[in-house]
Formats: sequence, structure tokens, C-alpha cells
Amino acid sequence: MSILRTMLAGGILAIAAASAHAGKENDTFVWATSTEMDTPDMYYGNQREALINTYAMCDGLLHRDPITNEFQALLATSWEWTDDTTLELELREGVKFHDGTDFDASDVAYTLNHVAAPDSDMKIRVIVDWIDNVEAVDTHKVRINAKRPTPAALQYLTGTSPIYPEGHYEDAPVVPGADGTERRDWGAVMPVCTGPYKLADYVAGESLTLVANPDYFEGSPKGKPSIGTIVYRTIKDPETQIAELVTGGIDWMWGVPPENAEMLSTMGNLTVVSAPTMRMSFLSLDAAGRTGDTPMTDLRVRQAIAHAINRQAIVDNLVGEGSEVQKSICAPVQFGCDTDVRQYDYDPEKAKALLAEAGYPDGLTIPFYAYRDRAYSEAVLNDLRAVGIRGDMQFLQWRALRPKLANDEVEIAHLTFGSNGILDVSASTSYYFTGGPDDYARDEEVIAWLQEADRTTNEEERKALYSKALNKIADQAYYIPLFMYGRTYAFNKDLDYPVTPDEMAHFYLARWK
Amino acid sequence: MIVYLSKRLFMVVIVIIVTSVVAFLLVHLSGDPAAAMAGEGATQADIEAVRATYGFDRPLPVQYFDWAGRVLAGDLGRSTYLRADVTEVLARHIPVTATLGICALGFALALSIPLGVLAALRPNTIIDRFSLWLAVAGQALPSFLFALGLMYLFGVYLRVLPISGSDTWWHFVMPSIALGYYATPEIMRLTRSGMLDVMQSDHVRTARAYGLAPWRVVVRHGLRHAIIPVVSLAAVQLGFMLGGSIVIETIFSLNGIGNLAWESIQRSDIAVIQAILLIIAAAYAVLTLLADLFNAALDPRIRIS
Repeated sequence: MSILRTMLAGGILAIAAASAHAGKENDTFVWATSTEMDTPDMYYGNQREALINTYAMCDGLLHRDPITNEFQALLATSWEWTDDTTLELELREGVKFHDGTDFDASDVAYTLNHVAAPDSDMKIRVIVDWIDNVEAVDTHKVRINAKRPTPAALQYLTGTSPIYPEGHYEDAPVVPGADGTERRDWGAVMPVCTGPYKLADYVAGESLTLVANPDYFEGSPKGKPSIGTIVYRTIKDPETQIAELVTGGIDWMWGVPPENAEMLSTMGNLTVVSAPTMRMSFLSLDAAGRTGDTPMTDLRVRQAIAHAINRQAIVDNLVGEGSEVQKSICAPVQFGCDTDVRQYDYDPEKAKALLAEAGYPDGLTIPFYAYRDRAYSEAVLNDLRAVGIRGDMQFLQWRALRPKLANDEVEIAHLTFGSNGILDVSASTSYYFTGGPDDYARDEEVIAWLQEADRTTNEEERKALYSKALNKIADQAYYIPLFMYGRTYAFNKDLDYPVTPDEMAHFYLARWK
Repeated sequence: MIVYLSKRLFMVVIVIIVTSVVAFLLVHLSGDPAAAMAGEGATQADIEAVRATYGFDRPLPVQYFDWAGRVLAGDLGRSTYLRADVTEVLARHIPVTATLGICALGFALALSIPLGVLAALRPNTIIDRFSLWLAVAGQALPSFLFALGLMYLFGVYLRVLPISGSDTWWHFVMPSIALGYYATPEIMRLTRSGMLDVMQSDHVRTARAYGLAPWRVVVRHGLRHAIIPVVSLAAVQLGFMLGGSIVIETIFSLNGIGNLAWESIQRSDIAVIQAILLIIAAAYAVLTLLADLFNAALDPRIRIS
């Protein structure tokens, strides 16, 4: 009976829920994407939507200016590396959480120690794995002891690491674990933060509502909130998003299909802008021979593949506005991304010659794995087929492809990666080329350079090491960079909002014109 | 009657067990659920941590019986993705799909039965041809195209109906028409053929000879008999609408069971997938049982045994 009652009550709520009216008149900004958000807690979800909302409702210790990419003081007012593994930060005074409690050093120590603990179940551990422990030195000073020198630490302490009040996770529900055990579902606790917007409502997989925080502290680089209410809605179908945008049901969407962008840009009530993103598209080749005896171990075959693909044509004709040819295995906006490396021009004749030289005058047939954006993979396959490389398309879901990659089964794969939004090459190149399950090059020299770069605090030395690694990766054509994804944004023309190249939406900066 | 009901219930239990085992195996054999849950940006270490936390490293029979044991104890489990009890999740989604399914069936019946009767009463006339055209169009037109057409006309061009969401009853008008129209042709053709047969039968001729009003002959002596197979079909159609409305729910952004099932499969949210299967299998069984009972009430010659 209780199940029935719960369902009935839920049904009434679902039907009776008040609808959000978008637009300047109602001071309500509604944005929509196709994603069903799993949790608004950034530590336990790795979706862009969670990150966007986190930036609006929470503060980290530092802020990275989305326009200049410079680090700015946020909850910390100053910071200093006292040695290679010790970072001390002075904290801002007079800041309050949305529940009215005062912010101090114990909150920072509690939050970071909780998520850095090995059993915290945090989703993307790279953000906190560098932390050994955090001490509250006094009420407004903390000391972070790192496990090792971590040059990207400041990046990790920005919006991706929100600070919650001490004891925040004590409300986490106890849920069944494996084998009759119990575990805590930390991600089920709703964030309580200090940011410019307060969380007003959250319906898992459907919507999230923020309201302006009138008590937000003066002097924040994020500025005082301007728009009264910000509503996030999940609308699965892009066509439906467009219909809602055109009729004023929502104010903002991204991922406008290229075929719709031009039509929307002619409408008087909308602004349409394209920008690059951090997601790169590339071919992973089994240069190390992890799959056994494969043509991919031959440099000439790998270079032939690089010369066979007309990357500019794919960018221009298929991926559309905002995308660009990728020059190196990293996102250009990331620290240490050297794009001045060897480039392979589109040259099918040269590709054929290289294949013949490698002993494949009649070409070769090989399984070609892909999992995302089939049209782009088909375009790459067509180019390869034109020079005699007959790819046998194996289009799988990610959950099916991932184990194959880890189990040495993939000779050539069309992959994409968004670096989890981290603006540092340690999150991209090092992810793929430091000897882990995703490393199909297994080059000892590259591994050593990247590992050293990931631990070096001197910026120039780091850049030099990353450059050496990226140059060798390009020279050896270990992986073939294809293109950086672009995104087309369409939004209400009454909205004053900066489109940034970090694949983020900084809505706390938005205001009505 | 009790023996009949017992047999049907036994069959329902068997169907539920078989479908749950098959679904459980499919989710595991079609890829790594830990990789799906960890997401694309996860390292292998992140994936292994998820595997250990959720017990995916255990043998499949152990995992299945762990889940089945909890269900038998009345606990449908917890959605690992939405971080809520499955009961709570279903409580939000079932009313949306139920509303959509019932409204869609209501639309389909309201449109198809009168047209089917008219077509049968005036065979080979323009009314019959129009009915045939409507039937062919309903079967030929992909539901997503029809739905987008409705959205453009009523939502974007005329702006008289809301485009997406489930906040008010108005939000269900377009989805119900789009979903119900697909079921219309079958019901209409079945009503037409049934009426054609019945109207030529002896008891209808006798009723006419008694001088009964034409509408009375059609409704009481014709439609009552012709509608018996339609009831069974409507029950199956309602089951289909409850379980198979993924496309319509996606287009109109309705958070119903169809959309939830599809998304849960994508993210390997096993407890939710299994719970939905239980509900859909049970719904089909109950609806066909109700159809049988209703048919028996309509036609005394049909006996439940």
C-alpha cells in the first residue's frame, strides 16, 4: 500500500508542478540540454550541466577567469607554495553559506578531506587524488599537503572543487551495497554552497532551479547575480529544444545542429554564436602491438592513415561552425598544449605510396571501432577506403568499447575526449600516453617525459617536457588528431552573456539587456 | 474461475522471471556496466572503483539472486544514476505514462470506432474511402514525423498548445494524439469488418424486422457484438502505449516510463530496468485478463474456464 500511496503522491506532484515561464519579463532564465543530470554535486557527477550549475551556486577556493584564463581569489584571498608539496591559502572572512552558517577553514578541510579519502566514491578522482590531507591552520588559513608535486593543483581548486559546510555529507542516506552490506550515497546530498545563486529545487533527471543569493559577498570575481531565477530543464530532443527556443519556452540551448543554425540566425529574437570546445576527436592506433601482429605497428601505415584523412573537409562540411582541425593530441586552450608539431597534409597519393612501401600495395582490411557521432566516423572511413584501408566498422556503445580498449583488442579506434574540463595537458595527453590501459603507444620515452612534466612545478620546464612528448607523438603518428568539436549556441537576444571557448556556460555572468 | 485466475497468475510469474533473467543478462553481456556508470572521462581506476562499490565484480548469478532476494523482500532497490529509491523514481514516471497511455487510447477509440461503424454502414462510399485513407496514413506515417508536424502546427505556428513537459493537461494533448493515431487504423479496420459481419447476421435482420430504431439496431445489436475483438486489441494497444511510448515521450519531453527505460538501459541502471520490466509484464498480463473478463461480460457465449 505504501508503494501505491507514494506513486499516487508522486503523480499528483508531477502533474501539478508549476511550469517555468522563461524570459526577461519574468526575470527567469531557462536553459535546456539533452542530458539527464544524475546529481548536482560536482564531486559525484561529471556532467557539464552539473559543472555549469556548480559554478553558479558554489564557490571554490580559486576562480579561473573564463575570458583571460587567469586565476583569481575567490574563497581564498591569497595562496603560496611553501615547498613542492605544501600549499597554504588565506581564506576570505565574512562569507556565509546559503544555510546561514559562517564559512571558515574547517569547512575547507572537511570538504577536501572527505572527497580525497580513498573510499569517498568520488567520480573523477584526478581532481582530488593529489591531496594527501588538508589542515585548518587557523580559522581562516588552510594548508594542503600534496602527495607529490602537482603543478595543476590550482586548476583543480577552481570551480571543480566547491566548498561545503563542515559535516555536509553526514546527511547522506545509507543504501544497500553489494553482498548485503551498506554504503553511503554521498552524491544524494544536495549542495549547500556560498555562490551567487542558491539551489531552490532539484528533480533528478528533469530540472534544477536556482535563485539569486542577495547576500553574496562583495568583491567576488563572479560579481553579484543579476538575473533572479535560473532554471535548467532536460529536453531530450534537439528539435523540441529549438521549438521551445523559437516560441520563448526556453532562453538558451547549445549543440544546435548545423542544419538549423542558419535558420535560427535569421530570427530576430535570437542570437546564434559558435565557439570551439575542449572535446577532441582522434584516432587511436595500436603502435605498441598490444593486439598482436598488426599493421599499426608500422610507422609508414600510421603516417599513411594520417595523410589519407581530409580533416579540413570534415570540419567544414560535417562538424560545422566552431570546430577546427586539431593539430596536436591536446586541446589548444590547455596549459602545455604545443600545436607546433608535425602536421600530415591531406595527400591520398602519398598515403597510397606509404602503404605500398610498407608492404600493402593492395591496401588492407582492419576492424575500425567507433562509439560516438557515426557520421563523422563514416567520413573518416570513406577517406581511408579511398587509399585502400578498408575499415570494418564496429560501432559500439561506450560501455562495450571501453572493456575492449582495456583488454588489448582495438587496433584502430575513433575516440573523443573532453579532458573533464581541465585546462591542463596533464588531463589529456598524459591521460592517454603514460602507460595506462588507454595507452596504445607505450613509448617509454614519452611516458617518462609526461610523468616528469606532471610533477614539475616550473612552468617553462613543464612546457618543454610536454612539447617533447607531443612532438614525438606527432612524429611517430601514434594517435591521429582529427578535429576539435565546436558548439553552436542559440539564445534569447535579450540576454547579455559571454560565450567562452572552455565549453562552459558561465550563467552567473549573464544579465538581461 | 479460480483455477483460471491461478493459471494466469502462474503464467505472469513465469513471464516476469524469464524476462528479468534475460534483461539482466543482456545488460551485462552488452558491455561493462561499470564503464557505463563511470562515464567517458573515467580512468580505468575509476571504473574499477565503481565495479567494487556496486558489486559488479561478483559472479552474475550472485548479483541476480542478490537483486531478486531484495525484490521478494519488497525492496525494488535504488537507482544508481538518479540516486533515489526505485519506488520513488517510478512514482514520478508512471503517472505520466499512464496519463499519456489512457488519453492516447481514448483518442484512438473516440476516432476509430465511429469511423469504423460509419465505414461499415456505408461500404464503398466516400466515407469508407476516407476511413481507409485515414487508416493507411496512420500506419504509413512515422510517429516521430507526425509528432513533429503537430508540434510545428499547434506549438510553433498557432502557439495554442505547450510544446514540452507534463505540467498541465494541455501538455498531454499533442502527445496523446500522436501516440493514439498510430493505434487508430487497426481499431478502425477491425470495427469495420466486425460491423460488416454483424450487420448481415440473422439477429440484426430480426431486430430490423421488429421495427427498432436504426441507431438502436447499430449500437445494441451490432456494435455490441462487433466490438468484442476490439476490446482485446485495445488492451494490447494500451499495453504497447504504456511500454513503448519512448519516441513520443522523448519528442515531447515527457518523463514517463518509456523514456526512463531507454535511459536506464543506456546507463546500466539495472534496478530501474528490472523494476520497469516487472511493471510492464504485469501490466500486459492484467490488461489481457481484464479484456477477457470484459469480453465475457459482453458476450454470454464466452465462458472463462
